[in-house]
Amino acid sequence: MGIITVEKTDRLFWLGRYTERVYTTARLYAKSYDHMIDVIADDYKNFCSAIDIPDVYGSKEVFLEKYPFDENDMNSLFSNLQRAYDNAIELRYEIGSEALAYIQLCIYDLQKAKESDAPMLEIQSLIDHIMAFWGTADDLIASEQIRDILKTGKRVERIDLYARLAFPAADLKREVNRMKFRIAKSHISYKESVVKNLETLVENEPMDYYGIVREIENIL
Amino acid sequence: MNFKDFELCAHTNSINELLARYGVKFGIYKNNTFHERLFPFDAIPRIIEADEFIQLEKGLKQRVKALNLFIKDIYSDKKIVKDNIVPEDFIFASSGYMPECEGIMPSKGVYSHISGIDLVQGKNKEWYILEDNLRVPSGASYPMIARQLCRKSSPKTFETYHLEDNRDYAKMLRKTLDYVNVEGHTVILTPGRYNSAYFEHSYLAEQTGAHLVTGQDLFVEGDKLYYKNYNGEKERVGAVYRRISDDYLDPMNFVADSVIGVPHLFDVYRKGNVALLNAPGNGVADDKGIYYFVPKMIRYYLEEEPILQNAPTYLPFYEEDRKYVLEHFDDLVLKDVAEAGGYGVVFGNSLTKEEKEKFIKMLKEEPRRFIAQEVIDFLDIDIMEKGEAVPRKADLRAFVLTSDEPVVWKSGLTRFSRNPDSFIVNSSQGGGFKDTWVLSQ
Repeated sequence: MGIITVEKTDRLFWLGRYTERVYTTARLYAKSYDHMIDVIADDYKNFCSAIDIPDVYGSKEVFLEKYPFDENDMNSLFSNLQRAYDNAIELRYEIGSEALAYIQLCIYDLQKAKESDAPMLEIQSLIDHIMAFWGTADDLIASEQIRDILKTGKRVERIDLYARLAFPAADLKREVNRMKFRIAKSHISYKESVVKNLETLVENEPMDYYGIVREIENIL
Repeated sequence: MNFKDFELCAHTNSINELLARYGVKFGIYKNNTFHERLFPFDAIPRIIEADEFIQLEKGLKQRVKALNLFIKDIYSDKKIVKDNIVPEDFIFASSGYMPECEGIMPSKGVYSHISGIDLVQGKNKEWYILEDNLRVPSGASYPMIARQLCRKSSPKTFETYHLEDNRDYAKMLRKTLDYVNVEGHTVILTPGRYNSAYFEHSYLAEQTGAHLVTGQDLFVEGDKLYYKNYNGEKERVGAVYRRISDDYLDPMNFVADSVIGVPHLFDVYRKGNVALLNAPGNGVADDKGIYYFVPKMIRYYLEEEPILQNAPTYLPFYEEDRKYVLEHFDDLVLKDVAEAGGYGVVFGNSLTKEEKEKFIKMLKEEPRRFIAQEVIDFLDIDIMEKGEAVPRKADLRAFVLTSDEPVVWKSGLTRFSRNPDSFIVNSSQGGGFKDTWVLSQ
């Protein structure tokens, strides 16, 4: 692969972040959707609060319709997936057509879900295709450095989301550990002190989730 | 051969789905908004017999050789002008002529490395050249990826028919890029993802292993071109397959507000420190007005008779031709030499009385701006529509890659019109594409 520009490095990192954001929030949306069937009708409020987005929906029905598909909502699944695509489309050379195809398929999945009377089935396909994207990236991207930058983005996003969603300490410890090794291999410039702070923060009880979010957002 | 012979056709929808999966799209601006569109694929191939291709190949090599000699001559001795073969009006008034290129000899003396020659086949089975594209011809990636997916969809078809493999285009292109590389990396310079041919830029980069870059990734220092990596270290670039038009290539030498070019790139090129493919200034040879003179160029430079014919063409610039054009206006197709992509093409018989009068006035005022051609009775080729084969107009873009010698790719992009009444096959005008099979025996 040889040389990677600053711009491509940035795109790889953000492709990793947005892909992970779509993956985790789509899974959470699926869980919340199920909850709203017969457990808590307005569970969407908890969902919005957990992932730190404004509740602009007002009702369960509007939320179910808008959150995944609204092109004008910058927090929607669609908008986040579009951002992943916007980065991926510029990275065919770096990640290869096979990996890029899975991001393209995710776009189609969401379009199909929008038209479907059973959208969760298509959203499941989207989740499957993200898994396939990561599998393909692992298997077919020959450059270790490219894989490392992509996965650094993924790990950073996961820590951010897990902290916002108040995941158990064991999950956060595992993710910080994975990110620490990945970012060191990626050759991108980052703040080592932030990694150290994160390692300390995940050991503290009670867990300082806001502190973790603050640190992780400041890692580059 | 009947389309029902092809098991492949049953898989048309699946192949189109696979093309969508791989993002085989082209971009188009409509009402100032960028849209990505899928390029519809029709599985019935255009088939060129082995013997027929041999003849076509000879003619295309001959034409590209002559065109390369012409460009070299124009930017040096101008013998063809001095010998009154091509009038100077058609050189210096051409928008493709670049005085900045005077006296520059590109790496290994090649000007048109990647030539896209558009042809149509008449009902008499004769091939006619429609136009030469020597600047940034696009389209090879589409049949390349389509063949790959067709083979996946119907292996049996490719066991039954013996045809030349077209998946070697990337290898041919890489050889062409490496041949002229002066020293360093080879890159493909794209204007970015909002360019209509961005899929092709990124796909060819992936397939050739050349780095896909934008103008912002490159910089000039000490008369050399460099690429800046993520550590800020510079690495020398020796060849640029640029998919940016001449005008936007270098803001210091051409359009000053270009944000997609590289400042001083042309200076590096002028000093022979980088190869640009295709060479700047090639537009002087693929101008629709110059097209008329290509058979004369072949005779002049190669002392050979042209193997492939031009479509019968008239230049209103010449009084005799202008008279003919005005007398036979309704039977001719008129083309604005400055336009491309199917724009600026007018069929004489399609105009209202007022439109015709207006057009003739313009033609008389600016005769250099137009050419007129006889409407060729195209050999229609079948496409599938709702499960039935229907005839449509189609052309062929053949690709000739020149390193030490011109080589013709044994395939090509066949574009067709989906509208039964239209001759315009361009993707930007709603056309589709087919694979082009060259039979090996």
